[in-house]
Order: sequence, then C-alpha cells, then structure tokens
Amino acid sequence: MFGLIARTGFLALLGVAAGLILNGVRPDGVALNGGPPAAACQLTTVAQPVERLTPAQANALCGNPNVLIADARSPESFAEGHVAGAVHLPCAAPGGVAQGIPGLLAGRSTVVVYGETTDEALAVADGLVRRNSNKGLRVAVLVGGFPAWQLAGFACASGPCPECAEDALIWPGPAGDHK
Amino acid sequence: MKWLLLLLRLVLGGLFILAGVLKLHDPSKFALEISNYQLISTGTTAMAALLPAIEIVSGAALIVLPQAWRRAAALLILLMVMMFSVAVSSAYFRGINIDCGCFGGAASPITWLTLVRNAGLLLVSLFCVVFDRPAPRPFTASPSPFRA
Repeated sequence: MFGLIARTGFLALLGVAAGLILNGVRPDGVALNGGPPAAACQLTTVAQPVERLTPAQANALCGNPNVLIADARSPESFAEGHVAGAVHLPCAAPGGVAQGIPGLLAGRSTVVVYGETTDEALAVADGLVRRNSNKGLRVAVLVGGFPAWQLAGFACASGPCPECAEDALIWPGPAGDHK
Repeated sequence: MKWLLLLLRLVLGGLFILAGVLKLHDPSKFALEISNYQLISTGTTAMAALLPAIEIVSGAALIVLPQAWRRAAALLILLMVMMFSVAVSSAYFRGINIDCGCFGGAASPITWLTLVRNAGLLLVSLFCVVFDRPAPRPFTASPSPFRA
C-alpha cells in the first residue's frame, strides 16, 4: 500500500516537474504566481463590452432571425407583457440557465437583453458575456428597460415563450394579449 | 479479464494523453476555463501549467510502464477524475453556464452527459486500480515432514 502511494506521488511530482519545465521553456508560458489570467481581464472589460441600444435601435433588430430578444425580468412580469418576439431568460432558475442558454443562443449573432431597468439587464448581459463560449456574439441591453420600450410605443405581446412553455415551473402559462 | 484491462488501460491512458496535449495548446485559455468554475481565486495559472503535464505523464504511465507503476498511474488518474467530477458537478448544480474545459479548446458546455462521462471514467480508473495487480501465486505446500 505504501509502495502504491509512493509511486503515485512520484508520478505526480514527475508531472509537476515536466509541467514546470515545459512552461518555462515555451514562449507563451503563463506566470505561476496565481494572478488572474490575462484573457479573463480582456474578456470582462475589453474584448466584448455590452452595447446599449435605445428602443428605436432595438426595434430595428426585431424580426431578424439572427437576433434574440431576451427578457430578464420575473416570469410574472413576462406574463403581463413583453417585447414582441422576446423569450424569457429564466434567470430565476439556475438549472434552466445552464441547460437552456446554449440552445437559445445557437445560430444567433446578437442577443438584446432587457429588464425592468437598464442595470437589471446589464447584470444579466455581463453574465452572458462571461459565460458564453461564442466569443463573436454581440450582446446588448435595452436602455431604459421594458418601460422605455412601452413608452416608445413599440410592439408588445404576450403568449408562451416556446422555451419557457416546456417548463411549467418557469413559465406559469399563457396570458392574454397585452398592449 | 486481461484483455479487458488492457483495453481499458489503452482507452483511459489515451484519453488522458489527448486531454493533456489539447490543454497544453493554450495555457492562458485553460487558466481562464479553470477560473470560470469560480472555485479557486488564485493558482489557476499554476494549475493550467501543471495539470496537462500530470495528465500526460499519468496517461503514458498507465499504458507503457510495468504493472506496479500502472496501478499508481491509475490511482493518480482516479484522484484527478474525482477532482474534475467535484468541479463539474459544482458548476452544473450551481447553474454556471461555462465550457467544461475538459479537452482544451474544444468547446463543450457542461451538461448531465458530462457528469455521466466523468462517472464512467471514475469507474474505469477504479477498475484499473483494483484489478491491475499481479496474479496470485499458486499455493505450493512445503514438503510434509510426515510424508514417507
């Protein structure tokens, strides 16, 4: 038993030594002192900032099959009324987010997130930027949130979001038309 | 049993060599993938530099070294798979939508299939640790002093 543990430790040390040597030799080796990776800084602050769209700019994207309009509000608010063609991003259901977002974003070039306020949408959009593997995805928020959209008089609708309708816990059911 | 063990050793060892080589390709990206798990705040770059080499060494040892060392390699792989499984399960059940990072740049979101695959790897490595041991020596009784 001791021999097994000793040999296991030796193999691990051999791997560590090989890793250290390789990292030291290669030109793109990383700093070992534990700082955050450079790519992480780029990803959150530089590489892909979240755009801010006015209701008119967002409205111009509606109907484009490559654009996803995502509602980040509560399911109840979504049921009361939402941007026409929007899907409810189930932020209140972490398991749903993990499984649903890759499918929702598949084939999309742009996602416009809106909430009750700009800040609410920004928090969700930042998460999308950090966690999405499609680095070319354009992520934007609707400035002023859903109230600004309503105020501008653009299309509002209700009805079950196809993704949410499959999950009764997230989507309580269809509501009447809301303008 | 012998051939099954050989097959499992080749598959498991080959998989770890492949995973290690793919992760070696871009250590900065791998460090980012580790930090995306939000489990450790420091040491991600060191882990990104060392883990692929440990995977390659253990995978190669599982395939080419003598039996005693193969068991050690299988135990090391078992420990690594346990660590990976904890990380992946944690991300899955916290609803963190990130790439697995299991095979370097190959984008693969964490799903329940990732958990099943890890459970399979756990079983295979455990199998190698338990059954890749020398065959027991046949019992040979010493000559009886009472035999005529």
